[in-house]
Amino acid sequence: MKDQILKIKENANNEIKNAKDLKELNDVRVKYLGKKGELTAVLRGMGALSPEERPIIGEFVNEARDEIEKLIDQKEQELKEQELLQKLEKEKIDITMPSKKIPVGSVHPITGVIDNIKEIFLGLGYEIADGPDIEKTYYVFDQLNTPIDHPARDLQDTFYINDNIVLRSQTSSVQIRVMENQKPPIKIICPGAVYRSDSVDPTHSPVFHQIEGLVVDKNITMSDLKGTLETFAKRCLGENTKIRFRPHHFPYTEPSAEVDVSCFVCNGKGCRVCKNEGWIELLGCGMVHPKVLENCGIDSNIYSGFAFGFGAERIAMAKYGIDDMRLLFENDVRFLKQF
Amino acid sequence: MKTSIEWLQDYADINVDAKTLADRLTMTGSKVETIEQKGKDIKNVVVGKILEIKKHPDADKLIVTKVDIGDKVVQIVTGADNVKEEDIIPIAKDGSELPGNVKIKTGMLRGVESCGMMCSVGELGLKVEDYPGQIEHGIMILPKEYKKFLGKDIVEVLNLREDILDFEITSNRPDCFSIEGLGREAAIAIGTEFKNPRKNLSKEVKEVKEIEGLKVDIEAKDLCYRYMARVLKDVKVETSPEWMRRRLNACGVRSINNIVDITNYVMLEIGEPMHAFDINCVKGKHIIVRRAKNNETITTLDDEERKLDNSMLVIADEEEPVAIAGVMGGANSGISDETKTVVFEAAVFNRGSIRLTAKKVGLRTEASTRYEKGLSPEIALRAINRAVELAEQIGAGKAVEEVIDVYPEKEEKRVIKFEPEKVNKALGMDIPRETMVEILEKLDIKVNGDNLEIPYFRTDIERTADIVEEVIRIYGYDKLNSTLINAESTVGSKTKLQKLEDKIKELLVEKGFSEMYAFSFISQEDYDKCKLDSSEAIRIKNPLGEDYSLMRTNMMPTVLQSMATNYNKKNKDVSLFEIGKTYVDEKQNIDKGELPVESKQIAFATYGKNADFYIVKGIVENILEASNIARYQIERANTKNLHPGRSAEIFVGKDSIAKFGEIHPQVLENYGINEKVYYAVIELEKFAKYGKDNKKYVQIPKYPAVERDIAIVVDEDIAVGQIENVISKKAKNILEKAELFDVYRSEKLGNNKKSVAYELIFRAQDRTLTDDEISNTMEAIIKELQATLGAELRA
Repeated sequence: MKDQILKIKENANNEIKNAKDLKELNDVRVKYLGKKGELTAVLRGMGALSPEERPIIGEFVNEARDEIEKLIDQKEQELKEQELLQKLEKEKIDITMPSKKIPVGSVHPITGVIDNIKEIFLGLGYEIADGPDIEKTYYVFDQLNTPIDHPARDLQDTFYINDNIVLRSQTSSVQIRVMENQKPPIKIICPGAVYRSDSVDPTHSPVFHQIEGLVVDKNITMSDLKGTLETFAKRCLGENTKIRFRPHHFPYTEPSAEVDVSCFVCNGKGCRVCKNEGWIELLGCGMVHPKVLENCGIDSNIYSGFAFGFGAERIAMAKYGIDDMRLLFENDVRFLKQF
Repeated sequence: MKTSIEWLQDYADINVDAKTLADRLTMTGSKVETIEQKGKDIKNVVVGKILEIKKHPDADKLIVTKVDIGDKVVQIVTGADNVKEEDIIPIAKDGSELPGNVKIKTGMLRGVESCGMMCSVGELGLKVEDYPGQIEHGIMILPKEYKKFLGKDIVEVLNLREDILDFEITSNRPDCFSIEGLGREAAIAIGTEFKNPRKNLSKEVKEVKEIEGLKVDIEAKDLCYRYMARVLKDVKVETSPEWMRRRLNACGVRSINNIVDITNYVMLEIGEPMHAFDINCVKGKHIIVRRAKNNETITTLDDEERKLDNSMLVIADEEEPVAIAGVMGGANSGISDETKTVVFEAAVFNRGSIRLTAKKVGLRTEASTRYEKGLSPEIALRAINRAVELAEQIGAGKAVEEVIDVYPEKEEKRVIKFEPEKVNKALGMDIPRETMVEILEKLDIKVNGDNLEIPYFRTDIERTADIVEEVIRIYGYDKLNSTLINAESTVGSKTKLQKLEDKIKELLVEKGFSEMYAFSFISQEDYDKCKLDSSEAIRIKNPLGEDYSLMRTNMMPTVLQSMATNYNKKNKDVSLFEIGKTYVDEKQNIDKGELPVESKQIAFATYGKNADFYIVKGIVENILEASNIARYQIERANTKNLHPGRSAEIFVGKDSIAKFGEIHPQVLENYGINEKVYYAVIELEKFAKYGKDNKKYVQIPKYPAVERDIAIVVDEDIAVGQIENVISKKAKNILEKAELFDVYRSEKLGNNKKSVAYELIFRAQDRTLTDDEISNTMEAIIKELQATLGAELRA
C-alpha cells in the first residue's frame, strides 16, 4: 500500500507541476484530495489492514496529503501571480498620451516677492501693518519730517487729490499711524501700493509696490539694522548674498543709507543686470529720525528705531530677469502663467 | 553737480584715478553718478605739417598730400579744401582712435593710398565756439608756432584731458553744491589734506550805507536774510580767460562774458548764487528787496515775460523788478558791452519761498536749486569777496573798497553737545572719542570740550543724530557691526483678514485663476464702458492724463480691461483674479479733509471652454465655505453691468457681500469681447467679518439615513431654490440633504413646464426614523409644493 501511496504522490506531483491554470490545478486537487479522490480512496481501503499497520499507513497517507496540499498551494500562488502579470500586461497604456491635468492658475510675481518677504519677517517676529492708499499729507509728509517747503512734496512727484490729501508716495505713512497708536516695542512691515507721478515706460510706473519695515524699542542700533538686513538679504536672495551700506539722505532717518546687494544674477562678477557693477541698489534705510519719534509721542531719549523700505517690482524684475516693467501690469496670461 | 577733477585739485591733492576717487566719495556720502573722461577716446592723433599738396589723379574733389608727422612723412588723401602747404594740423595716424568709437586705418581712396586722416574740430569731439577762428566743416588749422610740437600727441598739445565727475547731491548738503564743499569731502575721502585756499575770504570789509550813490533796502525781511553788494568800476566787458571758461564748461555752464562768468564761477566754487547788475539800469540807484505785486510782470534774461504775485520775492529798483530773487535776473538790468559799473549781489533768501516761486514761474535754475536746499546768510560775505578778488585777478574792473551789507538778524553760531557715548550707543559700536574728534575736525566741526561748534555751511547739523551720521560715514559704513536686535521678543502673526486673503488667493490659483495687477486709477471712459456711475469717484488733481484721472470705485473696469487684452491677443480659456482696493467718497467729504472709504476686494473673471455661471457660483460657494460663512442668502442681482437673468448677489442678513454672473452683453461689446465672460467680486473685509472662527465638532451620525426620491413638474419660472425652501421648511430638522439630480423638459410635459427630481436624505441625530415619520413628512412636502408652487407629482 505504501507503494500505491508513493505512486499517487508522484502522479499528483507531476500533474500539479503541469497544471496550466487555476482550473486545471483545482481538477488535480479534486482528483487526489476530493471526497472521491485517490488518496481518500486509499484511506477508505484501510479497513482491510491489520490494526498494527493502520496507524502507520494512516500517518503515511496524512503526510502525503499534507505534502500534496502544500504543493498545490505553492502552485496556486505561482499561477495567481502569473495571471496577475498577464492581466497587468494587457492593461498597459501609452504613457506618452497627453495628461488630463486640471489647469492651475498662478500668483503674480509681485505677490510672490511680497509673500516671500512677509514670511521672512514674520519669522523674525514682525507683524504686517496696512493703511490707506489715499492719505493725509500729515501722515505722508508732515510727521515724516518733510515740511511744506521740502522738495519731496513737489507736485511733479506726488499725486494730489487736494492740498491735504494725496495718493501715498511711500508706505511710511503706515509707520506713523502705527507709532501714533502703539507703544514700543514696535516691529512691523508694511507692504502696499504707492503712487508717484512717473510716466509708464520700461523702468517706471506710476503705481508700484513697497515693503517698508520699522522697529522701535530700547537700545536699537544701526548695527542691528545692518544685521537685520543682512539676514533678510540672505534668506530672500540666497546664502551667499553680501550687502553694502552707502551713506544717503532721507528726511525721516538719520543716519540714512542706501543698501546694495551683491548681484544675485552673476554673484557679483558683473553682468547686464547689475550693469557690470557687481552690486544692485536694493533699498533705503536708516535710524528713525528723533524728530519723527517725537512727532509720534515717543521719547527719543529712551527709544530708538530703524526703518527700511524697498520696491517689490525691482526685486521681481531682477530675480526673474524681467526687462520691461509694463509686463507686470499688462496681465497677459502667457506672462502670468510663468510664475 | 558736475565738477572737473582739475578744479578739485585746488582743494586737495587728488593722487588717485577718477574711478577710485568716485568710489571713495560715493562711500563717504557724495554719490558719483557718472564719470566722464574727456580726451580718453582720442588715441594716436598727432601734430603734423603739410609739406606738399597735389591733385588726385582720378577725383576732382580730392587732394593727395604729404604730411610730416615728426618721425616720418606720410601720404594722406583728403577732400578738405581749407588746407594749404605749410599748415599745421591734427593728424589721425594709421591705427588711431577718435571720439564716437571711430578707428582710422590706412586705406585706398579712389586708388590712392591714404595713411591716416586730417581732423576737424568736431572729429576731435570739440566745439568750434571754444576755438575761435576754426570752422565747422574743414580741418582744424593749428597756430604756426605749434610746429615745435610736430609728432606730439594732440591730447597733450591742446590739453584735452579732463575728468569730470557728476554728483548726486542730497537735499541736506547745500555745501556740497560747490567745488569747495566737494573738495573738502574729496580730501577726507582719499585721506589727504584739505588745502583750504579760500580761508581768507571771511575778512571783513568796511561797511557803508551807500556806494557810488547805490542804496539797498530789504522790505521783506522774512524772505531775505541778507543782502550784500559791492561795486566794480572801470569795467571792461569781454571774454573770460581760457582757464575760467574751461572750468565753467567742465561744470556744464556756458561762458557769457567775464562779469557773468565771475558770478557763475563763484556760485560753482563757493556754492552761493550771485547776480550782477549794470548800476545804470537800477533806477534811482536804489535796490529794494520786496514781495512782488500781484500781476506785476518781469521779462527774465531768457526773454520770457513772467507774471508775478505777492508770494514771490523780487529784487526791484524804484520803478520795477530787476530780478526774480534767487531764480533769474531780468533782461532790463543785465550786463551789456557798454556796462561800465557793475553791482555784484550776494544775497540769501528763504528756501521755501524760492522753491515755490521757481515752481510757480516754471523756472528751475542753478541758483534756485541751491537756494531751495537752504543756505546760511554767512556764505554771502565769502562769495562777494571772492567775486571782487576774481574780477581784479582777471582785470575785469576795479573794485570799490566798501561793501553794503544789509543783515537784519545775524545768524548765531550753532553749538551742540558732544556726546560720544550716545554716538556709539546709536551705532552699536565702540569708536574711541579721539577718532571721532579727528573725523569731526576734518569736517571743520570744532570740538571744544563737551561742545561742538558747527560751521555755518553745515546747515543740516542740528543734533546728535546728525553727528552720528558724520562720524559713521567717514569712519566707514562698511565697518558697522552686524548684530541682531537685543530686545524683548515679539510674535509675528497675520491677522484674520490677511490669512483669509491668502486662503482665497490659494483657492483661486488652484481653480486655475492667474493673479493680475492693475493701476487703481482709471478713466471716465472705463466707468462708462462698465455702466458705472463715477459720482462717488475721487479725482486726482494732477493725473498723468485723463486715462488715469479717477480712482476706481469698482473692480470691474481693471479686470475686464485685462480680459480684453488677453482676448485681443487671442489667448484661449483665460481666468484672472485681482486683489485690490476700491475708493469711494461716500459722503463727498474729501475736500473737507475726510478720507474716503477704502475696501479690499477680490474680483475674478473667466472665459473659455470651462466658463459658465455655475462654475463661478461654485467658486463663490467654495470661498464662502473657506471663509466659514454658513448662513447667507442668494438673490438675483440688480446690477446694470451683469446679465439680468444670469447674475446673483450674496447677502448676509441685509448686507450684500458678493456679486457674480455673466457680464452684460453691452459691456462685453464695449470691450470688444465676442465671448461670454463670467465675473464675480467679493468684499474681503465683509467675508472676514461674517466668517465664524469658532468651529465645533459635530458628532458623526449614529443612526441610519433614509433616502427618498421625489420628482415634480412645475412651471418653468419656478426656481429650484423655491422648491428647496419648501422641502427644507416642511422636513424640519430631519432633512440631511436635498440633492437635485435631474431637470427635464419635454413636449409631453407641456410648454413652460419642467420636471425636477431630488434625492432626499432624512436622518435624525437621536433615533432611527420610522416609516410613518418619513411618509408623513413626504406627504407634507408634496402638499405644500402643490399648494404654493402648483407642482404636480410625477408618477
